[in-house]
Amino acid sequence: MRAGAAEVTEPARKSRRPGPALVVWSSIALFGVLFALLTYQLSASQPAPPRPVVVRKVLKRRVVTTYVPTPGRNSVSSSGALATERSSPSYAPVTTGAS
Amino acid sequence: MTEHDVIFDAMGSHVRLLIGEPGPGMAPAPAAAEQARQLIVEFDATLSRFKSESELCALNADPRERVPASELLRTAVKAGLEAAERSGGLVDPTLVGEIETAGYVASRAGVPGAPLGAALAEAPMRRPARPNPAEEWRQIEVDDAAGTITRPPGLRFDTGGAGKGLAADLVARQLRGYSRFIVDCGGDIRIGGSDALVTPYEVFVEHPLTGERAFVLKLGFGAVATSGLNVRIWRDEDGNYSHHLLDPSSGRPAWTGLIGATALGDTAVEAETFAKAALLSGPEGGRDVLAERGGLLVHDNGRIETVGPFAAQPRIRIPDLAASA
Repeated sequence: MRAGAAEVTEPARKSRRPGPALVVWSSIALFGVLFALLTYQLSASQPAPPRPVVVRKVLKRRVVTTYVPTPGRNSVSSSGALATERSSPSYAPVTTGAS
Repeated sequence: MTEHDVIFDAMGSHVRLLIGEPGPGMAPAPAAAEQARQLIVEFDATLSRFKSESELCALNADPRERVPASELLRTAVKAGLEAAERSGGLVDPTLVGEIETAGYVASRAGVPGAPLGAALAEAPMRRPARPNPAEEWRQIEVDDAAGTITRPPGLRFDTGGAGKGLAADLVARQLRGYSRFIVDCGGDIRIGGSDALVTPYEVFVEHPLTGERAFVLKLGFGAVATSGLNVRIWRDEDGNYSHHLLDPSSGRPAWTGLIGATALGDTAVEAETFAKAALLSGPEGGRDVLAERGGLLVHDNGRIETVGPFAAQPRIRIPDLAASA
């Protein structure tokens, strides 16, 4: 019985093993496919275009406020010279109303 | 960027100039502000009804029919006549005797006004003002070529209807070329400059009853002006309340159902004319006056009503009106 079983399995094991030519050509084909794929990827990926440089001008707003006195009323100088001056990042609101 | 903010008193009001960066070859903003201040001081000295030495007083007192006049006086008279024409005679520059009879003889700069709420409680029945059918202002003629003003002797003229607006427009002309500017002559405001188109100014509208901010405008160009009863209001010799906005048909202070009107315009003279005409026209007529350019009416009860393109975005931003209605 054991000898018979050995006779049956030996040819089957032999037939499943690929031939050397198949192994060689398969390896070459796989290499070719991978090589082609990598070549394609390499050629498809163009170098990234340079990012546009945005020049932003940062403007800081500064308001210089000058109060000119009415001559004769709380004035520092009777000639109407500038009385006070201050600098700030914004101005007091402008208002329209009856006058 | 530096913006110069100059504040001084002239024409019985506060004047304010905000001036940005100069264009090529232009004077620095502080120098431009000083030039503008000098122009306004000269304007006031020439055209004040309250300064006996002014050229306007000389014109009004001159017995001749044809009187030589400076360019500034001629410009002011033309502006007054234009205001009368555009308002159909409601903004009448010849009511000098009537305003004096009402008690407005001397400058009221710095004089606190009577309480508007009390005045409204005692005011006569409301009705729209009407033009004087006599239309005496049509008898005034300006001849720039000859440099003269012609009118029947005794017919007096006052810049009251367009004075501060004209001053703002004249200063704005000087400031052409600066990156941005505001000229505020007692609430008659002119705005200009290319940068103001990009970053508009915020302008607050004062509520005539509360003095608080009733509204916020964003303006990048043009003009805005407000006319109201909350200032230059007083008790006359009889104890009745009077104010400076007269009904040309009666020569008496107008009580129309409106206590304030704010108007937009291309120029400050135009905006001031529309604002006065709207207030004098009362609620219904006022809506018609402001319909084209836009504006804001304040009713006797304090209610705020926007009219026409005043609500347009993005030029103007409207806060919650329901809260103030």
